[in-house]
Amino acid sequence: MFKQAAGLQGLLKDGSRHYTGLEEAILKNIDAVKTLSKMTRSSLGPHGMNKMVITHIGKLIVTSDAATIVKEIEVQHPAAKMVAMAAAMQESEAGDGTNFVLTLSGELMQQAENLIQEGLHPSDILLGYEKASQKCLEYLDSLVCYSIEDMKNEEEVQKCIRSVVASKHYGNEDLLAPLIAKACIYAMPENPKEFVVDNVRVTKILGGGLTDSQVIHGMCVIRGSETTVHNVKEAKVAVFNCQLEAENGDTKGTVLLKTAEELANYTKGEEETMEKFVKKLHDTGINVVISGASISEVCLHYMEKYKIMVLRIHSKFETKRIASTLGGAILVRMDAPTPEEVGHADEVYTTEISSTQCTIFRRDEVDNRIGTIVLRASTINVLDDAERAIDDGVNTVKNMTKNSAFCAGAGATEIHLSSQLQTYAKTQPGLDQYAVERFGQAFEVIPRTLAENAGLNAEEIIAKLFSETAKSPFYGIDVEDGKVKDMKALEIYDSLECKSWAIKLAVDAVLTILKVDQIIMSKPAGGPKPREARAPDLD
Amino acid sequence: MSSLQFLNERADIIKKAQALAVNTNAAKGLQEVLKSNLGPKGTIKMLVGGAGQVKLTKDGSTLLGEMQIQHPTAAMIGRAANAQDDIVGDGTTTNVLFIGELMRKAEAYLSEGVHPRILVDGIESAKIETLKFLEEFKEERKIDRDLLIDIAKASLETKIHPKLAEQMASIVSDAVMTIQKEDNIDLHMVEILHMKHKMSTDTKLIKGLVLDHGARHDDMPKKLTNCYILTCNVSLEYEKTDVHSGFFWSSAEQREKLIASERTFTNDKVEKILELKRKVCDGTDKSFVVINQKGIDPESLDMMAKEGIIGIRRAKRRNMERLTLACGGHAMNSVDDLTEEDLGFAKLVYEQTIGEDKFTFVEGVENPFSCTILIKGPNDHSIAQIKGAIRDGLRSVKNCIHDQAVVPGAGAFEIAASEHLREHQKTVHGKAKFGVEVFADALLTIPKTLADNGGYDSQEVILDCVDKYNETKKPFGIDLNTGKPSPSNVTNVYDNYCVKRQFLNISPILSQQLLLVDEVMRAGKRMRAEEE
Repeated sequence: MFKQAAGLQGLLKDGSRHYTGLEEAILKNIDAVKTLSKMTRSSLGPHGMNKMVITHIGKLIVTSDAATIVKEIEVQHPAAKMVAMAAAMQESEAGDGTNFVLTLSGELMQQAENLIQEGLHPSDILLGYEKASQKCLEYLDSLVCYSIEDMKNEEEVQKCIRSVVASKHYGNEDLLAPLIAKACIYAMPENPKEFVVDNVRVTKILGGGLTDSQVIHGMCVIRGSETTVHNVKEAKVAVFNCQLEAENGDTKGTVLLKTAEELANYTKGEEETMEKFVKKLHDTGINVVISGASISEVCLHYMEKYKIMVLRIHSKFETKRIASTLGGAILVRMDAPTPEEVGHADEVYTTEISSTQCTIFRRDEVDNRIGTIVLRASTINVLDDAERAIDDGVNTVKNMTKNSAFCAGAGATEIHLSSQLQTYAKTQPGLDQYAVERFGQAFEVIPRTLAENAGLNAEEIIAKLFSETAKSPFYGIDVEDGKVKDMKALEIYDSLECKSWAIKLAVDAVLTILKVDQIIMSKPAGGPKPREARAPDLD
Repeated sequence: MSSLQFLNERADIIKKAQALAVNTNAAKGLQEVLKSNLGPKGTIKMLVGGAGQVKLTKDGSTLLGEMQIQHPTAAMIGRAANAQDDIVGDGTTTNVLFIGELMRKAEAYLSEGVHPRILVDGIESAKIETLKFLEEFKEERKIDRDLLIDIAKASLETKIHPKLAEQMASIVSDAVMTIQKEDNIDLHMVEILHMKHKMSTDTKLIKGLVLDHGARHDDMPKKLTNCYILTCNVSLEYEKTDVHSGFFWSSAEQREKLIASERTFTNDKVEKILELKRKVCDGTDKSFVVINQKGIDPESLDMMAKEGIIGIRRAKRRNMERLTLACGGHAMNSVDDLTEEDLGFAKLVYEQTIGEDKFTFVEGVENPFSCTILIKGPNDHSIAQIKGAIRDGLRSVKNCIHDQAVVPGAGAFEIAASEHLREHQKTVHGKAKFGVEVFADALLTIPKTLADNGGYDSQEVILDCVDKYNETKKPFGIDLNTGKPSPSNVTNVYDNYCVKRQFLNISPILSQQLLLVDEVMRAGKRMRAEEE
């Protein structure tokens, strides 16, 4: 107990560790971040490689999406974890550009390490990086290359998301981009600022090929009808969110039967009530019923009798979405809806796609803000990966509703930022100019990686890019033939919103990590790692 | 060795010099750890918990709380420092550093054969003198917004990035000024909420209230303007009776009647609210919001939705208090005899969704006495950091209003007090002089560490400051951006008077106790066998 261990170790609980100072804390942290970013780097860009990740429950994931990779590998090292968190934040803030965050933070760390080895104090690096990042965001705003005007124009939207989809599913961008564009336009409200990513749904159905995918203006639910009615045109729909069976109040109820007659009449009475209810529905013109909760057999029987199509949906959110697709309200009582509460659909039908029972709700009204992409592919992995590509595409649309500006893709913007920052560095008086310069150099990593991943000679291309960027900020790499071209002409655009978030988050993570000079780790908790509390997957 | 035989054979005992060494080492060790955190230029520590969760902090009390200290002496110092945090909300690191330094300086005299008791007497007399000096040194000021911002900034800069600190300083000052009612400040009336969203610089003060949940009905409006707000604590759902009860029926018809009657009970209550709504809103552009502490069941929500009312259920009890303070009106416990006077008013009520979390904003209120600080940040650790800082910032503003006085900061007080003690030493007779000397030297550790962390030569900076002080007899602190002494009325760095007083009271007492320990005994394992 009173062993005279000097310093901190003597004070802490057994089993805890601590790291202090430049060598132990800062350089180690840098190393961890570098390792993480090196790993995801090879997945950057259209020619990025896929990773095969097998999770702790044995699920196989094949993807080049950095957000997914980082999420699934469960990063342990605290510093690397912070960068991983920055990437996760990028995913939730902009929905794309996670690999950019990881690659840039890794390179910024690398440059910081070089600076430290050259004898710069971390506080100078911090100062320089902060200065540079502010300048960088200023420059970025001036690099607008294209601005989308009409968010409802399919062609324009397609143009903007093509490069994003290409980086995830190269070769299929011409197939997926139109689908995404179409679905997004369905979901685009009058005021584009109110665009909700969730309104573009993806229903994955195994079988067929990507070419068989299609877009529906409405919803697709993987579930068949409960009755024999399978196809209703000009449907009038009632959406219930309560049980469709004999009502039981909250008070405890007991059936009190005194005579045999009462017993005989009791069930009959029940049935009559139910029939009355269903008949009332029928009289209002309802021919499709959606239920978010259970339906009793008796009820189904009468539904069948009145030829009403019935669909059971188990997710509360799905029920809500259907109600909003159809423009109806969710009913909380077993009663016929008022005319305003009735939902409408051009067509509701159950079909079989590759032996999967699906029900499709189609409603070609402008106020139906839900578009569904029915995605088809031969394996689950391809499905998942295509879904991620779609997700990135949809998020890009979301970003352009926030900021309609786009900058040139394919490394053009990065190389221009790099050259401008390096010029800016030379005008700075203090020691931090070295840090500003290195910050600029760090941006080279994006075009370099793009070139390397495409198997091109990076050095040569970077040199060429630097000479071209002086003339126009829109020159980037065409990874197909390794030439430096004007990206404005090729129409390869990146969302400005997404890029500016990525830079902000990457710099934020890097600065935070560089500020740490001591790490104190408690003894790892014993036993199996507690599972992270997650919101239940209701979809 | 004779005493040993009275002890359980597995017990530990250390005596005299050794006991003192244990205590001193612990104090010094802790000082070493926290040293780099002091002041605006201090570095950050990364704490990794047992399950791998990351926490970044510069705040002494957070650090001490999370570090899992096992050493008994160190734990004692930690507790003393935490007491400081509990009472005034700042000065934790200062406390630990000062205790460590007192022990270090005392050690030198003890090794020369000075008896601890004499040293302790000296320290005591120095403490009393310093407290007296503090009374003279403090500047009685009229409290205005600028002063509050200055004092909040000084406190916040030691926890978060200076740029952020500047922004937060005005936020916390405005928050406290909003809730201030004569002399009564209840910091609970500032709601602190966080959204994991955007960057930390997007943190803002909302005059009004933000609730961390939304309406639970889809058809309720997402945004209303010119709203009457009914704050109530009435159950709008089925309530079980206290006595055992039940329904008995023998046909479906009967059942329906019973269930309908069960509903009426709740519906009547909702109907009363709707009636009031119609009375005050119909024919005007006003709208209506119900915020209830108890539940509202789906059917009642439905009834409200049809009237275009936003109904929010299960609000926090504290929010009921805050709501009436922010928007006016009364918190109602019954829906009988509601009148317009019972309602609060807000210009704008709207809902915002972030991921799966919903937030309801009640804004545009007149003359509020409650407000919300909405923290934003890209990740949990930066949110936690800001939250801690805001808490301390609020406390420091409150302290300042209470004290009606400030103390020049950036080491100015410590330097002046140390010089004052050296004068005072001349009037002290005998060996107690040593204690005064120890105290005077130890005080300098604060400015020294500040300078060290800023990357300056601490000896040089301190001597400069001392000289300046002796020349002018005006408070001189360290300007951490230049490393030069600067008069504190220029830099506007101020500390709380009560923080200084508190730390001058807590740390000398603890070091005195530690110095007087001459034997440490630890119970044998077997003696607490039940525990294990």
